[in-house]
Amino acid sequence: METILFYILSALIVIFSIASVSSRKILRAVTYLLFVLIAISGIYFLVDYSFLGAVQLTVYGGGVIVLIIFSVLLVHHIELELEVTPLKKKIIAGLISATGLGITLWAIYTFPFTNATTYKSIEVADIGRKLLGYGDGGFILPFEVISVLLLAVIIGAIVIAKGKKLNE
Amino acid sequence: MGYEAILVLLLAGVFLIVLANFLSNLLSHKSDNPAKREPYECGIETIGPTWIQFKVGYYLFAILFLVFDVEVAFLIPWAVVYKEIGTVALVEIIIFLFILGLGLAYAWKKRALKWE
Amino acid sequence: MNIPLNITKTIHDWLFSIMPEGVATVTEWVIVAAAYLALFAVVGLYLVLLERKVAAWFQLRLGPNRVGPWGIFQTMADALKLVSKELTSNTKIDKFLYNLAPYFVILSSLIAIGVFPFSRQFQALDINIGIFFLFAISSIGVIGILLAGWSSNNKFSMIGAMRSGLQTISYELSVGLSMLTMVLLTGSLQLSEIIEVQRTGGWLIIQGHIPAIIAFMIFMIAGTAETNRAPFDLVEAESELGAGFHTEYSGMKFAYFFLAEFINMFIIASIAVVLFFGGWLSPFGITDDITWFPESIWFVIKVLGIIFLMMWFRWTFPRLRVDQLLTLEWKYLLPINLVNLVLMAIIIWLNWTI
Repeated sequence: METILFYILSALIVIFSIASVSSRKILRAVTYLLFVLIAISGIYFLVDYSFLGAVQLTVYGGGVIVLIIFSVLLVHHIELELEVTPLKKKIIAGLISATGLGITLWAIYTFPFTNATTYKSIEVADIGRKLLGYGDGGFILPFEVISVLLLAVIIGAIVIAKGKKLNE
Repeated sequence: MGYEAILVLLLAGVFLIVLANFLSNLLSHKSDNPAKREPYECGIETIGPTWIQFKVGYYLFAILFLVFDVEVAFLIPWAVVYKEIGTVALVEIIIFLFILGLGLAYAWKKRALKWE
Repeated sequence: MNIPLNITKTIHDWLFSIMPEGVATVTEWVIVAAAYLALFAVVGLYLVLLERKVAAWFQLRLGPNRVGPWGIFQTMADALKLVSKELTSNTKIDKFLYNLAPYFVILSSLIAIGVFPFSRQFQALDINIGIFFLFAISSIGVIGILLAGWSSNNKFSMIGAMRSGLQTISYELSVGLSMLTMVLLTGSLQLSEIIEVQRTGGWLIIQGHIPAIIAFMIFMIAGTAETNRAPFDLVEAESELGAGFHTEYSGMKFAYFFLAEFINMFIIASIAVVLFFGGWLSPFGITDDITWFPESIWFVIKVLGIIFLMMWFRWTFPRLRVDQLLTLEWKYLLPINLVNLVLMAIIIWLNWTI
């Protein structure tokens, strides 16, 4: 059952990734990307890592996609279809993708994976303890630095979006 | 039931929509004329394209939303373990929210929160 | 006699005793799917009727009263009528996205309903990140609205959808943060555990007193806005935008959006009941000892109370403008919410909870 679901989700990811880059209507490409992101969160749920699955749904499915839709609508003439890519570019892109795929496959097949002997699902509380831990293996400093990063994002976005008015 | 409930409800929803659309197509009375195929706006033919450029305000609010969305995602593990960790978690979150509050204050000062 | 308490478990055991495992699993799935679809339809149809009745009471009218006693079959008749209507659309739509949009709205609300514990046993999915899962699922629904508006190629739809996207994402933050404030009290995201905490310590709105009441008020305002209901209904402001993002949808396709809107109201009310008012727990434990008493009655009563409150809002406040809407969220609710979160943390730290 889980194996079948895994293959269905993987097939969805592959198909919609290709559809997303090859679609010539920009909003449809965004929709296909959304399917890819939802399918990835499905894989997280499948391996019982529901916190990451929900983060994937919230931040990518709900947040980034809405952001992309709004940024797409900033574009002039979105009703026009994207131009067809010339064959030369297609070949280069295909070669680069094939190289990437090759390297990934090589890494996966040569890495000595060991089967986990004990299975334990990760609870949100475990993540919390790590995140607020200040001893060995604690992430309290990165947790604080995240807020600085988010602050930088806010300032950057405002400077970009309101750039003209700020300079005047 | 475990996670397969998500799958079951997903399939149930798809089934509901497909069935209702099918029934609707089966039962409905159909008619056609050119005016019916026009967008429903004001009774006259629609002028100009719909898919135009929207203003940057939407983008700005979307990115602010994304920032706070990520913040919520990080606060959730914090909220779950708050009771058992105590003082460290309290100090931590006051600093965290203070820095984010600076961002909100900056946005406020630069009138990014004003819709114009 | 404790059949109502263990009805799902009884069915589960019974199915597995008479059938081979595989068949029993599939049968159980079908039963669950049918139960939730029935619940979905009944809740949707009767909330529409309730909305019309409540509107009538507020305006000293009778409301629907012709089809069946007190008009109880009115919305069923409406649903039948909607099924028999032609599905029209204009020629300029983006057909794929146009047909896809209702799935997002319906599926996100259907899955969200599966998470709620309507009683001790009646819960399809007791996921360990319950509250966060609800937050995640509800953020998907808005994409359906954006796609519906964009693909319709209609100016009313487009403006309605853009407003809706902006409004939903803004207020979702407040919904999330006020839920988080309450999670501080429970220390768990799982809905069944949140209710268990309230069995011994009292309802969370009493346990957390001042910050909990502030969180409840923020939650109700933001929840009403997230479901695009009046006074935050500028998404489909009838007098300005036709019907908003679903202008181009007819018949059943329109009904999906309409249904999902009412189900979302039910979802918001259910979250409020679980997080603030003890879910299916009876007030002061008055029916705890009666084993045959169906606990879901308490859940339904509390949910109807909250829904009545949301319908009351509709007839009390005038519609907001876009700029007022954004000011309310970003300049009032969000800062208050962040401060309230710290306040709740301090109160728990000082052990001042009741």
